[in-house]
Amino acid sequence: MSDRPHPILVGVAALVYLFLMVPLVIVVGAALSDTTYLTFPPKGLSLRWFENIFEISAFRRTIVTSLQIAFLGTLIALLIGIPAAYALNRFRVELPNWLGTLFVLPILVPEIVFGFALLKSLTAGAGVPIFAALLIGHTLLVLPYVVRVISASLASFDFSIEEAAISLGSAPVKTFFTIVLPNVRAGVIAAFILAFITSLNDVSVSLFLTGPGISTLPIQILAHVEQFFDPTVASVSVLLMFLTVAVMAVVERTLGLTFLAK
Amino acid sequence: MTQPLDLQSISAHYGTTKVLEDLSLSVQAGELVSLLGASGCGKTTTLRLIAGFLSPTTGSITLGGRDLTRLPPHKRDIGLVFQNYALFPHLSVLDNVAFGLKQRGLGSTERRKRAMGMLERVGLTPLADRSPGALSGGQKQRVALARALVIEPPLLMFDEPLSNLDAKLRVDMRVEIRQLQRANGTTSVYVTHDQEEAFSISDRVAIMNAGRLMQFDRPEVLYRRPANTFVARFVGFENIIPFKVTARDGAAVAAETAGMTLHLSQAGFGSIPDSFLLATRPDGLAVSTDPDAEGLPAQLGLRTYLGRAYQYQCETPAGRVVANGSLTTPLEAGTRVKLVPVPEQCTILPAEGAH
Amino acid sequence: MISRRFRRRDGATGWALSAPATLAVIGFLVVPIGAVIAGTFMDPRGIFAPYLSYFNSGFRTTVLFRTLQIAALTTIISLIFGFMTAYVVARAPGRLKSLLIVAAVFPLLTGVVVRAFAWLIILGRNGILNQTLLALGVTSEPLEMLYTQGAVIVGMVYLFVPLMVLSLVGVLENIPRDVLQASSSLGASPLATFWQVLLPLAVPGLIVGAVLVFTGSFTAYATPQLLGGERQTVLATLLHQRAMVAFDWVGASTIAAIMTVITITIVLAMSHIARRINPMAT
Repeated sequence: MSDRPHPILVGVAALVYLFLMVPLVIVVGAALSDTTYLTFPPKGLSLRWFENIFEISAFRRTIVTSLQIAFLGTLIALLIGIPAAYALNRFRVELPNWLGTLFVLPILVPEIVFGFALLKSLTAGAGVPIFAALLIGHTLLVLPYVVRVISASLASFDFSIEEAAISLGSAPVKTFFTIVLPNVRAGVIAAFILAFITSLNDVSVSLFLTGPGISTLPIQILAHVEQFFDPTVASVSVLLMFLTVAVMAVVERTLGLTFLAK
Repeated sequence: MTQPLDLQSISAHYGTTKVLEDLSLSVQAGELVSLLGASGCGKTTTLRLIAGFLSPTTGSITLGGRDLTRLPPHKRDIGLVFQNYALFPHLSVLDNVAFGLKQRGLGSTERRKRAMGMLERVGLTPLADRSPGALSGGQKQRVALARALVIEPPLLMFDEPLSNLDAKLRVDMRVEIRQLQRANGTTSVYVTHDQEEAFSISDRVAIMNAGRLMQFDRPEVLYRRPANTFVARFVGFENIIPFKVTARDGAAVAAETAGMTLHLSQAGFGSIPDSFLLATRPDGLAVSTDPDAEGLPAQLGLRTYLGRAYQYQCETPAGRVVANGSLTTPLEAGTRVKLVPVPEQCTILPAEGAH
Repeated sequence: MISRRFRRRDGATGWALSAPATLAVIGFLVVPIGAVIAGTFMDPRGIFAPYLSYFNSGFRTTVLFRTLQIAALTTIISLIFGFMTAYVVARAPGRLKSLLIVAAVFPLLTGVVVRAFAWLIILGRNGILNQTLLALGVTSEPLEMLYTQGAVIVGMVYLFVPLMVLSLVGVLENIPRDVLQASSSLGASPLATFWQVLLPLAVPGLIVGAVLVFTGSFTAYATPQLLGGERQTVLATLLHQRAMVAFDWVGASTIAAIMTVITITIVLAMSHIARRINPMAT
């Protein structure tokens, strides 16, 4: 477009981006500090706070739990979400409208209410083990992302090629795996990543679903910050950011980065 | 109110790609000129340059003596009709038409009066309070037209305005556009890829290709006397056969191509160069089964039925050509015939390059 | 006849494929939350007793209004800055635009705890901001910035501005360029085009973005917990405190019910309004 935005607008946008980036830079700096308290710019460079993460058993355990929950939850959400997204698009006429809304509910209702409700009905109410309740909570938490992202890629999928495959003698189930799924591969990858990161970062649902020996990393970070003010948390944060960067790099390689903006 | 438009050696780039090269074009006051060509030929770029949405790398644009080249779009006072109508979806039909008047600081009663008057001219008075979303394609196009006309611009421009309408409506609308343009006498630039549309509506047509102006003339001239092979092929001269002059005798010229001698009279074609191209439409080659006829020896290939004639794909020593034969005697593939040029249906082009 | 049988089978297939997800949402989300809300109306003290006692408590009504206030201010600030930024991003040339979009996506993918923690380092008593202000001599002793409403709002704006930017870039890009060019071809100055064409067409998108930010900041937990502490208790932190510290389950359920009803009402009402005034819909 030939008309450039007004310089004042450009200035505001630059400040907004500065506002977005500076705190993250500060966290990285603080994580590298050699001091026992949080400071920026770092005084002396050291990686000892990164080592410290793994010396604290609570961090070790919660990192494992968080990864397990995020991986399993995302997997289950994909297993139940892909058929649902397919049904919503393929049988749009036959299925009622409220079904689509139902799958959005987990992001519509306040997460913290959802977590509390699971505590009340599952762990406290029915004696469901905490790990199982966490898994159920996270599966539902990420389900809307899975259904939405896959639906978006199915929306541009031409179902007549599926019919073409069936008319050529391919069985419907086989057709789904050989024709439909490969064409929404990008959507599945994006859904996986989005769901995984959402689960990994979740606080509000996990908040009520922790118990003796079981907690997630964000909850552990919260607890740690409230007791200690040392750079450990900064280094955990950097670790999580690295993970995010790695994931974004994978996305960039496979799909192009603007994909995530959709 | 009506003013001439003048483009002087305009060049334009998108990034590092040159999209328009040294284009000069003069549109007289009150004239309707079409820019015609395939997509990517530079016609839309030219329109956007005149409108001010793009800036030329070199050259100047003047409208009635006013230099537009560096003027921002909203100060150019040009009425634009967009391909997708570009109606304001949040405004009623009336407010759409009155929008330009509002920008010119007219009071609300005056705006309403003029906009209603314009809507009446395009026959949309009953729809004044509708939202554009509720209109048919043809109605949207009329609103877009009214919106551009009501500001009484010295220049009107149309960007493929009819390409989203169905065939019947397209013909009706182009008559309507031409009548409105004639009545107002507004200088107009009309961009289209449809040859019939361009020829039927325009005083003159500029045929463009790859960012260059190929020929700029009245439709009748373009249709009968294209200036080069590009324009010739564009207007339907499908067969282009190279000839060399072998003898001249006054106005009579004998020329030869692979195994055929042709006798022509310069009277019909103006001066004939020593090396030239003979261009014909399929109708310009008569299919003759007389082995002694003076024509190009050919073997017939696939025959297709056109309704008014049979069309044959023909193999000749000068390459593959297309000829139309009579309906009374369908000929089978493989038949050896002579293809006899019909002078009134042919034109002569200067030979180009090594080809 | 045949086609009808086909159709019925198709419908059944659709139901079968969506059944696992449907049952999961109903069984693990709708029913548990429904039970929490229903439970608040089965109090032995009377049907509305939990709500009466909630609104009779000065502290708890203060918390409700503080939460609404923080959410409203966060929304307004995010809207203003998000819209200006999105406008610039939407008009940026190709490569720069993708870079700016990535720069907005990155914080979004970084967890809320990490992002709140960053402001803890900045706003703390010995934080960077105080150190800087002291070094510059702007103030002689450290300012109390943490545990104020301002700190919570800054943290929340930080959380939600990227979301607003991304959703508004989408909105602005959906406005056909032709329509904006039509406006300037008709003589509208850039400012007139902004007020008379661009802004009205962006309103439905602005509403959607505002709802996203409002409900998000209305129910956020980690940011007010870390940056606001007990002094800036909001509904989410109060809910956690009632349930996990005071073991007051009726109180916690009441807060949960209030949060759910407010959130869903706002989402439904605003999306209805956004749809009604959306000129692009037809």
